[in-house]
Amino acid sequence: MINIDIGATAISILTLFGIYSLMSISLNLEYGVAGLPNFGKALFISIGAYTAGITYTRLLPLLAGVEAIHPCGPTMGGALQLRSEIMASNPTAGFINFGLTLLFAAAIAGAVGFAVSYVTLRLKEEWFLALVLLVGGETVRILVRGADDFICSHNGISGVAQPFFFVADPRSRALLFMLLSLALALLAYLYSQRLNHSPFGRMLKGLRENEEVTRGLGKNISLARAQIMAVGSLIAAIGGVLFALNTGFVNTNDFVVNLTLDVWVMVVLGGIGNNRGALLGALLIAIMDRFAQIGAIVLNMGGSDIEFNYVRFIGFGLILLWMLRYRPAGLLPESRLTTDAHDVVRRVIGASK
Amino acid sequence: MTPLLEMKNLRKDFGGLRAVDNVSLQVPEGAIIGLIGPNGSGKSTLINLIAGSTDLSSGQVLFASQDISDLPADEVFKLGIARGYQEPALYFKMTVLDNLLLPVKDQRGERPWYAPWRRSWQHEEAAHAEAAVQVLEQVQLLHHYDTLASDLSGGQMKLLEIARCLMGKPQLLLLDEPTAGVAPKLAYEIFQQIARLRDDFGITLLIVEHRLEILFDFADYVYVMHLGKLLAQGAVDEIANDAIVREVYFGD
Amino acid sequence: MGDNLPPALLTTSLVNTIQIGSLYALMALGITLTFSVMKLPNFAHAEYATAGAYAALIVSLSGVLNPLVIMIAAFVVGALSALISHLAVFKPLERRDVSFYTLILASFAVGLIIRYILFTMADYFNLFDLRIAIPLRVLFREGTLILSNLFAWVVPTSLVLVFILTLLLNRSPLGREMRALANNVNLARVIGIPVERVKNYTWLLVGGLAGVAGALWGLQTAVHPLMGWGAIISVFAAAILGGLSSFSGTILGAYVVAFSENTVILFLNVNYGVDLAYKPAIPFIIIIVVLLFRPQGLTKLIRRAGDLGR
Repeated sequence: MINIDIGATAISILTLFGIYSLMSISLNLEYGVAGLPNFGKALFISIGAYTAGITYTRLLPLLAGVEAIHPCGPTMGGALQLRSEIMASNPTAGFINFGLTLLFAAAIAGAVGFAVSYVTLRLKEEWFLALVLLVGGETVRILVRGADDFICSHNGISGVAQPFFFVADPRSRALLFMLLSLALALLAYLYSQRLNHSPFGRMLKGLRENEEVTRGLGKNISLARAQIMAVGSLIAAIGGVLFALNTGFVNTNDFVVNLTLDVWVMVVLGGIGNNRGALLGALLIAIMDRFAQIGAIVLNMGGSDIEFNYVRFIGFGLILLWMLRYRPAGLLPESRLTTDAHDVVRRVIGASK
Repeated sequence: MTPLLEMKNLRKDFGGLRAVDNVSLQVPEGAIIGLIGPNGSGKSTLINLIAGSTDLSSGQVLFASQDISDLPADEVFKLGIARGYQEPALYFKMTVLDNLLLPVKDQRGERPWYAPWRRSWQHEEAAHAEAAVQVLEQVQLLHHYDTLASDLSGGQMKLLEIARCLMGKPQLLLLDEPTAGVAPKLAYEIFQQIARLRDDFGITLLIVEHRLEILFDFADYVYVMHLGKLLAQGAVDEIANDAIVREVYFGD
Repeated sequence: MGDNLPPALLTTSLVNTIQIGSLYALMALGITLTFSVMKLPNFAHAEYATAGAYAALIVSLSGVLNPLVIMIAAFVVGALSALISHLAVFKPLERRDVSFYTLILASFAVGLIIRYILFTMADYFNLFDLRIAIPLRVLFREGTLILSNLFAWVVPTSLVLVFILTLLLNRSPLGREMRALANNVNLARVIGIPVERVKNYTWLLVGGLAGVAGALWGLQTAVHPLMGWGAIISVFAAAILGGLSSFSGTILGAYVVAFSENTVILFLNVNYGVDLAYKPAIPFIIIIVVLLFRPQGLTKLIRRAGDLGR
């Protein structure tokens, strides 16, 4: 038998939960609320990770006042050591770098989301958007992987340490990062929850239900679409930054279609259009991920020849199919939208009685 | 006096089909104008052309002397032209109240950076809600404010659609068969409501309608379309007794 | 075009274009058929090819080396996996009239399941990267250009299958019924076409053809659980070049995609130093450009009798 450290497992699950929540909330805003099928989620998540790859290799040394070393090729080891030394000894530089990474990632992803939305307006059929985003995400991944100097193509960049790297005790270090990711997820949740019950949310739900009519009622739906794509993309990119920091690596191989599917499963599982559902989906997938890893170890130690990772994907597919067929609204179905105005009307009616 | 809405030589081709062929008509301010014709005569297409949801092939649409021929639907609405649809196109998954509040113009809370800060838009929203109460009282739907639009009866849906248009404070209302699929008695009530819109709010109306017996009671002037062309026009009495109109319309 | 391309490289790449293009055509025709008849963009389609390749591999490993038997095994396994995914997944979903996105997600899930069942099996029996064991003989050699007996097998077989499929669609009663479904399902039902049966046959046909394509592929390269998934975007690009509706457009599209992946990239590499690592990006770029600027694909360029109306 292996010993499972319950504390460490809980910390790693909750950290993943925070990161996945950012991703699922962003997809829920785009698809659940506004009806935009973003099958290119991996692209926007990867923008966050690539940004981290660049800031950690180019910006961090500058902030610490030392000269940057080219991160790829023969100087790779030296550059990695430099990063680790700075992150361990200079928390200020680490935090400034982290903050700027979030800022840049959000700005770039938001701008890309906004632009992509406008470019894809000319698509003839609605579902082409799904296809273009899916394929666009893979294209960018291949181009980034091909560009040697960008994030070191196939090797990727390691030693992308989380900002609390300087804390000596590994348990407290992990705990602090968990709190950080949960805090960012909470912010995203509160934002999207309030958005949902605002006039903006109302307009987006109108857009989801009937685009033509919403345009006919004086709404600039192209702008609204682009705005929600920007918001969703920047949240996804923040998730991407944390994703990279959590594993410590930036590698193009992580941002394949399967990652997009993971996020879709979270939203479909939790409940399309319901932010709490998105959180629940993220939690379930985080737990599943972690236990799949533990299960794989247990299975291998038990001498089984079956590779657990494969079984995980089969299970994943089956869950998705089961949900689509029997619980299409998810575990927590969307509650109906009632904006603040209802309270006002209730009061008016009450007063007139 | 220049008419509120003026169409000059409108034409619309769908592939090889000419749905609207050289139609010119005028809608004076404060009038109720009827637009009639057999199915497929191009009436609904004409409404779409004015509202900007279909691009025109040639011709010109002037609204309050401004050329709106090439404006998209949202701009047309903002200028003061609202429209209803033949099949009620409500937001069926929203409450009656949210259906009404959505079309209100220039809402602060519709901008993503204000939306999460409730304080920045809640006063505005409350004012809109009070305006909605007025409109709901007018169409007798006030006590349904919290009902999902999909749970309303057919006649209530028609009324809600008109009420929703009013929230955009239009000068001109385009209605496409406002009584389609509604019981005759209720159809008459709907037209009474429509007449009050003109009398109380000064709204001008262009109405496509098949129930001529009701339309002729309320309309000031009627245009008749047939096969995409304008067949006849005139005051209600003239049209009702026009031999050609009777032939294409009633087949006698 | 190949001004600066060494002639030997050019010839090799053109041979590859024909070989790969024919296989793409076999699979892409299936995607076009499923899309026009069933209104389903099936991202699991390439997995039927992988399943067929594994069926062929297992039969050949068991000692049966008769190519016909191998192909039939591949056809049957491909056809069955397609029919099962229809009956178990797509049909119930279609009956509930779900959105396009639900269907896309479901097809991804089906693909995931088939792929990782094959992975588990391949892992358990150690069947990674094996070739279907038909002996290789060199028929023709000229510099780097080598034509084996497999080339003599793959290209004619796929061309003949494409031809038979075209005939079937245009001349047979089943083909007529499929086209009726593609045009208007409700109308087809009203005039008494057995819609469900035609759909089942369509699935068997497209799955079987994909299976054969997978087996033919396994003859020239190695069989791996990821081989279908790796080709799905190229195959989709071909179908999209056919406007997802035109048969002739899809076939032409398949060769266009294969040509860009083999010859054009080589040309760019030799002349402009474009890294060959960018090769996978080609079908992606084709899809994006076509969907944005020419959603009807190549259809208008080649209006022919073989087109499925939409």
